[in-house]
Amino acid sequence: MAGFLGRRLGAAAIAALLSSLAVFLLMRAVPGDIIGQMLGQTGSDRAAEQALRAFFGLDRPLWAQFAEWVGGAVQGDLGRSWYQGRPVSAMVWDAFLVTLQLAVLTLALATLVGVPLGVVAGIAQGTRIDRAIQTFNLIGLSAPVFWLGLMLLVGTSAALDWSPPFAWSGPHEDLEENIAILVLPVLSLAVLQAAAYSQFVRGLMIEELGKDYIRAGRAKGLTPRELYFKHALANVMIPLVTFMGLILVQILGGVVVIESLFSLPGLGRLILSAIQGRDYPVVQGALLFVVIIATTINLAVDLLYGLLDPRLRP
Amino acid sequence: MTAWRLGLVLLAFFAVLIVAPGWVAPQSPFALDPSRALQPPSAAHWFGTDDVGRDVFARVIHGTRITLGLVTLSLLIAAVIGGGLGIVAGFAGRWFDLAAGRAADMVQTFPPIIAGVMITGVLGPGAANLILALAVIYLPTFFRIGRSAALAEVQLTYVEAARAAGFTESSILVRQILPNALPVLVLQFVIVFPLALQIEAALGFLGLGVVPPTPDWGAILEQGKNFILVAWWMSLWPGLFVLLSAAAMMLLGQGLREKLGR
Amino acid sequence: MRNLTFPRRTALHLALGSLALPGVARAQQAQIDPLISGPTPPGACRGGRVTIGSLVEPPALDPFRQAADARIRVSVLMYQGLFYEDQSGVARPLLAESAAASADGKSWTFRLRRGVKFHTGQTMTSADVKYSYDFMRNAANGSPGAGDLSSVASIDAPEEHTVVFNLSRPNAALPMTLTNKYGAVVPRGFFETPNSGTRMNEISVGTGPFKLKQFRPNSTLTFERNPDYWQPGLPYLDEVTFVTMPNSAAMVVGLQSRRIDLAMFSRPQDTQALANAPGVQVHRWPSLNQKTVDLDCKYQQLSDMRVRQAIALAIDKKTVMDASISGYGTVIGTMVAGMQEAWGVPIDQLPNQRVDLDRARSLLAAAGHPSGFDIDLTTIIGYDWMDAAAVTIAEQLRRINIQVNIRKLDLGVWIRNFRAREMGFTFNDWGTTPDPSLLYYRHFRAAPEGADFRNWNNARASALLDRGQETADPAARKAIYAEFQKILAEEVPTIMMFSSDLLTANRTRLKNYVQHGTGWYFGLAKAWVEG
Repeated sequence: MAGFLGRRLGAAAIAALLSSLAVFLLMRAVPGDIIGQMLGQTGSDRAAEQALRAFFGLDRPLWAQFAEWVGGAVQGDLGRSWYQGRPVSAMVWDAFLVTLQLAVLTLALATLVGVPLGVVAGIAQGTRIDRAIQTFNLIGLSAPVFWLGLMLLVGTSAALDWSPPFAWSGPHEDLEENIAILVLPVLSLAVLQAAAYSQFVRGLMIEELGKDYIRAGRAKGLTPRELYFKHALANVMIPLVTFMGLILVQILGGVVVIESLFSLPGLGRLILSAIQGRDYPVVQGALLFVVIIATTINLAVDLLYGLLDPRLRP
Repeated sequence: MTAWRLGLVLLAFFAVLIVAPGWVAPQSPFALDPSRALQPPSAAHWFGTDDVGRDVFARVIHGTRITLGLVTLSLLIAAVIGGGLGIVAGFAGRWFDLAAGRAADMVQTFPPIIAGVMITGVLGPGAANLILALAVIYLPTFFRIGRSAALAEVQLTYVEAARAAGFTESSILVRQILPNALPVLVLQFVIVFPLALQIEAALGFLGLGVVPPTPDWGAILEQGKNFILVAWWMSLWPGLFVLLSAAAMMLLGQGLREKLGR
Repeated sequence: MRNLTFPRRTALHLALGSLALPGVARAQQAQIDPLISGPTPPGACRGGRVTIGSLVEPPALDPFRQAADARIRVSVLMYQGLFYEDQSGVARPLLAESAAASADGKSWTFRLRRGVKFHTGQTMTSADVKYSYDFMRNAANGSPGAGDLSSVASIDAPEEHTVVFNLSRPNAALPMTLTNKYGAVVPRGFFETPNSGTRMNEISVGTGPFKLKQFRPNSTLTFERNPDYWQPGLPYLDEVTFVTMPNSAAMVVGLQSRRIDLAMFSRPQDTQALANAPGVQVHRWPSLNQKTVDLDCKYQQLSDMRVRQAIALAIDKKTVMDASISGYGTVIGTMVAGMQEAWGVPIDQLPNQRVDLDRARSLLAAAGHPSGFDIDLTTIIGYDWMDAAAVTIAEQLRRINIQVNIRKLDLGVWIRNFRAREMGFTFNDWGTTPDPSLLYYRHFRAAPEGADFRNWNNARASALLDRGQETADPAARKAIYAEFQKILAEEVPTIMMFSSDLLTANRTRLKNYVQHGTGWYFGLAKAWVEG
């Protein structure tokens, strides 16, 4: 177990270093830098340009810039934003909390809606109810999330004369505002994930219900409730949990457009605006964080899988 | 009607739009006329007109070829290169497997939209670069599928037998393993198609897709977002077409999975 | 042409709608001038908070080192220069009280307003003014405004309320240079603390009517009333919050649902949905911006002046304006609309302004392109008007057999190309401080004095720009710039197409908001809310 964990962590560290290098090089390959943006169209002074270049250390060789960044990063110092002056780690953390709240609420809603739908569809396989749920799944999985968000925004405005406040408040600042901001983004993301969940659970249920022990139980005269909920559902819990992890990774990676569409100061938007502004420390720090989070969730899912099912223990 | 059949019917519908868009929508998707800008759907313009007076129906119909073509091409590139590398990695193993596997891991940890933004950032927006970006994003997926397919085959006795019979490694690869890995790759292609389509539309929506005046569903959505309150038709139809074509591929995937017994 | 109708148009806006822009500029002036000295709006009461929706957000708030227009828009609430840009083209005193130039034009003496306090509590003196402008003009400090002050040799602060700018050559545009676009008067020594530039995202140290309360990137920017503001009784509002909005549809929805009180729109079509919205007013204002097509005079076929002229002769500016901003603007020749009356040459006296396809074709043939050629036209991602303008221009140039391939660039990449003088054939969208020297000098003066981004390198034009800067007499100055504009129109390094009107929409509870032609939020100092 410890050996497995060690190997995985070692591999993750190497992957993080390599992807950081890739981000570092990619960002510098994107034409234009912060200096052009600071001086704009009219700031034509070469001396000013050189002064700023030196200020940000952009006049130094690439390897030195990267080495310095890695040196800081391993000590937990991701540097400061070139625009904001705030520590990148604090900015990333604040943004992550926004994204995390969005992801957790989406996951909760998707689970609450998707799992029952999937169970019902699985039990009622082939009926009209099953077909209705499958149609929902199909539409949910096919509709572009940003398009759904846009339609929801316009729809609620037309129908209810209501719109989200757009100005962010954290849950600890003003819970009511916080919920008002998140309703539409969570809804637009949750449709897709609920559909994915429902589809997945339906498949599991059908598979499980076809197994011998269920047939035997049925023959023994167990009630449907005992059959479905005590036995079948218990057995699909393991894949369900791992699926949850996958969905979380997917949500965290897929929120960029929704965050932009609803002006949420989350991680995706932070990265997007930093790329546009060529704020290299923020891009590098935030993407390193994303890589670490994704790796951690994957690892946690694998470990959890092993805990829940001793046969799969590495 | 089974999922498979419904999928095929939808696919046939889109195939017609791809092959003969002009036959379905005879109007030009490019002809400007500011005097008829932002008109609601009518007999003359079924899906209304956009802000420079172009026929939205024609743009959406002609956009089918662009949008679905872009996604198809990028996934083909990803499948051929990624799947090919995966098969070789699974077959050859050792350092190549390790290195390629790590690289695939790396690409996959990036959120796809961010990866798309960075790649089109380096190369600039445009159809060709969008294809490249999508191909890179989906390379790891195909790599993994190809690799595990090859791994599964390598352990089977017929490969051993072929080896014993003196077949060269490359001929084993081409004659034995490739044909057996192909169905899985095709299935994967169908499965990721709807996802890739949504990423393509999202990148278009962020302004990173094709350049005007090319009609592309994501680009039409991007253009329409500012007019959504006065001209909902600019946003509704292209979104519905994304939805429908994604659904078609999803149904096809379901059917294919059943047929392949996976 | 579709006609947008707005309810509740005031007489002022009707006048605007009637297109007599020079006259309008005058009407505007009467409205806007009171920002500094005019009467208090009747019935105005103090207090209240407003929320403003904005499509753009400043990347950072340092007025000395961030060129982004999104930064300048809000900076004017916190920071002030010695003068203030009256959009008719006159610099009016702001932190200065008066200006006097010496007979040779090489020395300017400014008397400073008394009783002005910084947000830090210190009282402003001439030493602060000297410090601030010395900091800005030193290129090593990296301010985009440094180049505009290249004629300044030294700054003296002989008395507490007197500053003297000594120049190496006369500069008639000096007062307009000391306005609010770049830099401001800040307490002396401020930049000596480390990271002082980024500290400006946390505190404001200017003299403006509002103080920075909180800046939350990617979300909100909040200002609070400066209780010690030097204009008595101002500002009226207690708090102003800017919310970064994702798109104009969200701004419209936000106005309708009372989430925001004010929003400025970049395309007039976007306000169409508000035409019948209860409790919302839509206003049109003339602007100092210009939408142009820029031509790199060293780029492929464009290096031949006849090709540039042919392109100018094939572009129908009015049609492009109708397609891209629904006609809500003014077609221009060589001068932004707001300054046309004061500084412009009437369009009918300028060459290459009217569509003439036959001449265009013969010019192309003479340049060796009888059957046309292919060329890339660049648009910038996020500038919505450019896409519509690009397809329209592509259509127009096809008539003289020029095949246009549209190319989109990220703003950062575009700026890089522009600054590197590799712009090619591109759209541009820029605003100006209302003085002809500040409008033209850096863009069109040959290097090294100017930046000459379009590689025009025209000696006659450069000489005129130098003389225009040095000439103090307004009439003589106007004649010089008129001559310059004729060369500009003749040789076509740029095609200035139109100035688009600014559109604001506000909830009726917000009163007396006047939009300045720069697009900056000066007007909030005098806006107030009911109840």
